[in-house]
Amino acid sequence: MVTVKIPGPLRKLTGGKDLIQLEGVVTVKDALEKLIETYPELEDRLKDERGLLREFINIFVNNEDIRFLNELDTELKDQDHIILVPAIAGGQGKRRVKLYFPPDKVKEPVIYNLGHMFKIVTNIRKANVDEDFGWVSLEVEGSDEEFSKAIEYLKKLGIRVEPIEGDILI
Amino acid sequence: MYIIQGLQCRNCGRSYTLSPTHICEFCFGGLDVVYDYSKVGHTFTLKALENRPYNIWRYKELLPIEKEPVCGFNVGFTPLLRARRLERLLGIKEIYIKNDAVNHPTLSFKDRVVAVAISKAVEFGYDVISCASTGNLANSVAALAASCGLKSYVFIPWDLEAGKVLGTLIYGAHLIRVKGTYDDVNRLCSEIAENFEWAFVNINIRPFYAEGSKTFGFEIAEQMNFKLPKHIVVPMGGGSLITKIWKAFKELQTLGFIDAIETKMHGAQAEGANPIVSAYKQGRKTIKPVKPNTIAKSLAIGNPADGAYALQTIRESGGTAEDVTDDEILEGIKMLAREEGIFTETAGGVTVAVTRKLKEQGVIGEDDSVVIAITGNGLKTQEVVRNNMGEPTVIEPNLKDFEKIYCTVI
Ligand SMILES: Cc1ncc(COP(=O)(O)O)c(C=O)c1O
Ligand SMILES: [Zn+2]
Repeated sequence: MVTVKIPGPLRKLTGGKDLIQLEGVVTVKDALEKLIETYPELEDRLKDERGLLREFINIFVNNEDIRFLNELDTELKDQDHIILVPAIAGGQGKRRVKLYFPPDKVKEPVIYNLGHMFKIVTNIRKANVDEDFGWVSLEVEGSDEEFSKAIEYLKKLGIRVEPIEGDILI
Repeated sequence: MYIIQGLQCRNCGRSYTLSPTHICEFCFGGLDVVYDYSKVGHTFTLKALENRPYNIWRYKELLPIEKEPVCGFNVGFTPLLRARRLERLLGIKEIYIKNDAVNHPTLSFKDRVVAVAISKAVEFGYDVISCASTGNLANSVAALAASCGLKSYVFIPWDLEAGKVLGTLIYGAHLIRVKGTYDDVNRLCSEIAENFEWAFVNINIRPFYAEGSKTFGFEIAEQMNFKLPKHIVVPMGGGSLITKIWKAFKELQTLGFIDAIETKMHGAQAEGANPIVSAYKQGRKTIKPVKPNTIAKSLAIGNPADGAYALQTIRESGGTAEDVTDDEILEGIKMLAREEGIFTETAGGVTVAVTRKLKEQGVIGEDDSVVIAITGNGLKTQEVVRNNMGEPTVIEPNLKDFEKIYCTVI
């Protein structure tokens, strides 16, 4: 049997329980799956859209960061103690960019195309599109490489791309 | 005022009200303070600055405080001095030292963040201040909490320098020495913070605390008449300071105080605790933690909380990240002392040594201007240089003895 300590923000989803005991789990990955099986609402808190463990959660087994062990494949033995700790901050934020469309591009499905041509997920935060010009504030998720390719593509189309400071609300 | 709008997740963008929380409930991303910059400009003007006191609160519209601050009236506005002898030695046209080795009251830049954190903690109604620290933060929390009549609980790793231990105890703080590294302390404190109603400056108060580092950047800008240098070399532990200096420049630009920002932000670490530098060099955007082993204990963080944001800052500004060995750090400390008369701690040794390295690599050119961030004081880390310094010459109190020594030893 191993125990898992649930961080404060997630205890709402475990009926207020902070220590969960699990039987018959071999690796950290098993433990997380079992946890989600028991408390299904934990799934989208622990995993991102692609089903991967969210990067802002650090996992410790007997106080050692699993990144120094065998990551999610770290093997567990009886009495092991797992702690889920939200990384204080860390990780890579989603990027925000603002796109300025010239008249001849306003009517093209540029953003739709982006999502199909590159491995990125886009999300329109705000937009102002007229007959003959427009701008769109876009949130983009994806690897550095795919993001750069997408930006290159936009620039080639003659669309101006500007970064947006994460915390300046416009 | 109502300039501060709330908190926002740096990862998914969800908004939160102003409260003592630091992570997004949904995705666990870090939270950041959001300001309404259109309102800041009403009162924050060049003219207004002329009449304000020379401490961090002169930038109050850009700090996350809603009531009057409770401490920090002598924090900040440290000297920015031209380092002419160092310029000659390193072959760089313009070098400036931003000297937080003489920041008040505890001789490191951490007084900036703590003054903001404690003022905010008092607004939230806390009466106990706490932190996980590599030493300087410990000193600052202990001193500033004492000055406000607040209790403090300070957690430090096992192997800190004597000066930093004593420099915490003297203020009456409850000092807890944890058998482990800073990263162990930090993990432990995240757990403690959930069970105790305390203001942990770098955990639940972190979004507010971190904003205090912006004043280091505001001051550099103001002291240079809003003409920023071509390079800044900043030490990185958790990676917050470098991120916030950059944010400060961006804010000044948004407000029209500076035009284009052409400053390259260079991040400096010790080779023995270099997770951010190695991520930079390997082109990664996520941090792989390391086990720290360096004399630069103030920077000995293997799992930096803001590491990924520091990387973003460096890349966005076109800067670099570089590390130096313990020997180079010692040389850096000595160089700054012997050329400029400034005794810095290990973190300052790191930035001086990295500056020299970047010059040698051609990243910093001979006609460039550089600001070197000196963030702490050498009196706190005496043991690292002691063995390196030799001993004073001993004589009997008579003239002959001196003359004899003068002819032979000295
Ligand atoms: C003297 C000194 N300089 C620099 C730093 C690093 O700052 P940050 O953790 O914000 O990167 C610290 C503490 O961590 C410090 O004590
Ligand atoms: Zn979030």
